[in-house]
Amino acid sequence: MGRAIVITSGKGGVGKTTTTCNLGAAIAQLGMSVVLIDADIGLRNLDVVMGLENRIVYHVVDVVQRKCTAQKALIKDRRLDNLWLLPASQTDDKDAVTPDDMRKLVGELKVIYDYVLIDCPAGIEQGFKNAIAGADEAVVVATPEVSSIRDADRVVGLLAAQDIPTRLIVNRISAHLVKKGDMLSQADVIEILALELIGAVPLDEHVVASTNKGMPAVLEGKSLAAREFSRIARRMIGLETEAVRETGGGWFSRLGRALGLSSATAA
Amino acid sequence: MWNMFRGKPSSREVAKGRLHLVLAHDRVGLEGGKLQEMRREIAAVISRYVPIDLDAVEVQIETRSRATELRVSSPLPARGGG
Ligand SMILES: Nc1ncnc2c1ncn2[C@@H]1O[C@H](COP(=O)(O)OP(=O)(O)O)[C@@H](O)[C@H]1O
Ligand SMILES: [Mg+2]
Repeated sequence: MGRAIVITSGKGGVGKTTTTCNLGAAIAQLGMSVVLIDADIGLRNLDVVMGLENRIVYHVVDVVQRKCTAQKALIKDRRLDNLWLLPASQTDDKDAVTPDDMRKLVGELKVIYDYVLIDCPAGIEQGFKNAIAGADEAVVVATPEVSSIRDADRVVGLLAAQDIPTRLIVNRISAHLVKKGDMLSQADVIEILALELIGAVPLDEHVVASTNKGMPAVLEGKSLAAREFSRIARRMIGLETEAVRETGGGWFSRLGRALGLSSATAA
Repeated sequence: MWNMFRGKPSSREVAKGRLHLVLAHDRVGLEGGKLQEMRREIAAVISRYVPIDLDAVEVQIETRSRATELRVSSPLPARGGG
């Protein structure tokens, strides 16, 4: 039986789709079979980020409405042996799908595939409820900004109410800004949200270039973001158990902490 | 924590402080108006037992980790002194 993990955040534009795409590719690279579901009905996105937009025939609403089987709607990623995408519909309304539909669909896919990653839409309404319905676990993506963390906190509360175990990815950290005291550090975000961190992805221009091309960054080489996404994938499937390293710190900040110096000047 | 060189809090520290406040209120779902109403009612209850300055009663919602607590503070006059 596979595991279903929803990638969510509350706020839009913080990196859910980027994370789903790269974690999916990275887990597939490790030899597991992975299905990515775009749960953003009406505003599909994951297909273009993956570079699979030209191959869509059926989508998740077709499957739910029994116009085709899930197997038939899945698009196989030709760059990897065991990665598939179930795209969202671009024309339907959010309530074309219900939480029950999603629970059933995800349950069916879990029988066949090792991992089902669900790319959640922004917000906490119907689309969110659909996306989390079939999930065994959640990953909350937050950027180190007040509005993103505030929305993430809301979502963490809603996930806790559903008893869905939740871990955190801090995305778009700039070591330079943290050092200057102009960005919350990953430690700050962990403290505020009180969640277990599964990874901290740096702000990396390679992500922008990869997204332009429709190529997951992890398939393109060893950019900083790609390396961290690969590490998160390893942690997710239990291959790497070493604790998450502090980014934006380095020896000076560790020294500073050891000496009890102000974290604003040292970290 | 303060930046030693500028003597001003860094924007990171400001963000942290703002988040602690915003989240405390979000987590209990009490908006500003409701909180003031509660403050007035609490002050009124205290004043039934001890003569106090109603306006000096303060309520604060604070959050650490995922635990949230309500703090009420009110200066109490010493007996015979007020
Ligand atoms: N680590 C990163 N470094 C640089 N840019 C990023 C990073 N993560 C995401 N982005 C960019 O941020 C934008 C929003 O990301 P996206 O994954 O679409 O967010 P969401 O799905 O949460 O709305 C995209 O343009 C994406 O390329
Ligand atoms: Mg998205």
